Amino acid sequence: MKFGTGFSCLAIFIVCAALIKPVQDRLEARLGTPGQEPDLLYFSSPAVVKKMALGYDRIVADFYWMRVIQYYGRRDEADKRPVRYKNLSTLLDITTTLDPDLLDAYRAGSLFLSEADPVGAGQPEEGLKLLDKGIRAHPQEWRLWYDKGFIYYLFLRDYGKAGETWHAASRLASAPHWMEPLAAMSLSKGGAVEIAKVLWERQYRESARADVRENARNHLISFQVARDIWSLELLLEKYRAKTGSFPQTLRELIRGKALKIVDPLGAPYQYNPVTGAISLSPETKVRYLQVPDSYREALSVKE
Amino acid sequence: MLQRILAIARNTYRETVRDKILYNLILFALIMILSSIILSQLTLGNEDKVILDLGLSAISIFGMLIAIFIGIGLVYKELEKRTAYALLAKPVHRYELILGKYLGLLFTLLVNLAIMTVGLELALLYTGSIGLGGHLRVLPAVYLVFLSLALTTALALLFSTFSTPALSALFTFFLWLIGHFGKDLQNFGELTKSAPVGWICRVLYYVLPNLANFSMVDSRSIIKTAGYSSAIDPMAVAGSTLYSILYCAAILSLSIAIFMRRDFK
Repeated sequence: MKFGTGFSCLAIFIVCAALIKPVQDRLEARLGTPGQEPDLLYFSSPAVVKKMALGYDRIVADFYWMRVIQYYGRRDEADKRPVRYKNLSTLLDITTTLDPDLLDAYRAGSLFLSEADPVGAGQPEEGLKLLDKGIRAHPQEWRLWYDKGFIYYLFLRDYGKAGETWHAASRLASAPHWMEPLAAMSLSKGGAVEIAKVLWERQYRESARADVRENARNHLISFQVARDIWSLELLLEKYRAKTGSFPQTLRELIRGKALKIVDPLGAPYQYNPVTGAISLSPETKVRYLQVPDSYREALSVKE
Repeated sequence: MLQRILAIARNTYRETVRDKILYNLILFALIMILSSIILSQLTLGNEDKVILDLGLSAISIFGMLIAIFIGIGLVYKELEKRTAYALLAKPVHRYELILGKYLGLLFTLLVNLAIMTVGLELALLYTGSIGLGGHLRVLPAVYLVFLSLALTTALALLFSTFSTPALSALFTFFLWLIGHFGKDLQNFGELTKSAPVGWICRVLYYVLPNLANFSMVDSRSIIKTAGYSSAIDPMAVAGSTLYSILYCAAILSLSIAIFMRRDFK
């Protein structure tokens, strides 16, 4: 009897344990129907969270930083929220209040906040506030000053403020030698496109974070795409002015010229010979990030 | 066999309702539910939502405390007081004792949940802002809380078969806590670059109790205008019921297997 009961127990256990996975999967599929994801943050006051951390500020800060990464990095979840990154600035504020020395939170966090929607929160002012908080805690940290200038330059297009910030940074003892010429270039208000490219290239080469490097790479590729398309459009207009119609193919247009008709990742540009519109192919692997229209003049190749 | 199990269940119920800790917990839960009426005055609109959120949380948390604090002592106390020896000397099988104890505590939980639900319904009736449909929709929410408590009780009983009450309480509480982070564990497994860590997370996701399965009905589904409304899905409720039955059966069979191997000499 005892053996029989033991055997029955084992059989029940095995059957039930084996069935738990398919039941859980079905349930998950049922509950995970696409819809809006409520964007809730139960404790939004950094002061309250600091008190609740009971002195374990640093470890709670680490958890909040991980939460920031998940909140920002999981794009599938972000797309389901009514506003993609509504709570991002609050989460970063809590993180940096709990651990004012978490440099990554200021640097990457300000970038997450400043990037335009859908890549980021589209709140460069919040990014500046976060960096100012970091600068108050670490006034000698040139990287925070550099990032502040970066946001002024690329997201707010305030070249004067960017130059002033970089100029202030260049006076710090730890500042690299290239900071002063960068400030000078920005203050002269010339070469906006060149500086923008230099900034993204520097971030691509020097950032320790893979997602920040990937973002910089996307910006650099987008610059190339914008240059290609704007140059082709310029050439198309000339062609039409000369012949009265658009060419049948882009190959016919660029004959003998050094322009590209495939994007930097190898997909041919899409061309409509009736309207003359040129765009990225739906098959492209390029993650195009909007390049300001004010760069058109400087980027286009005049053949 | 069934009669013997039911007799043990009846006696377990009688024994648990004499426990002072039970009354203290129910009293606290009711005070908390009724205090939600006062708290709801502090909000601007959505008073019924505050009452529901606080009430359902109180039912779930105090139910969990009852399940743990009574569940951990179920078998241990019988062995400590040596009453189990007298019982097992009679034609009562060990598995009947375990099943009887489990059913007895489940019935106790059911009665407590009913009392707390009446308290919550009265608090909602006091504000009078939700209709009959809203009052009825509270029931599936409480039913899911009961399913989660059935699972918690099974875990408490499992630990009670081989460990001391203090350790059993600790183990059960931590499993209950982890049970609410199942989705995070799965997400972590998907995000990690290490294949073994991903695999371990995936296995743990299925092995550990997933208590998030029982929180699908909340104030958003009960009051249709409270935030992002989400309708109650009967198939999902049925799925949760099946999940709870399977998990409890697996845990109980493990408890019986352990209890049968114990040497009482």
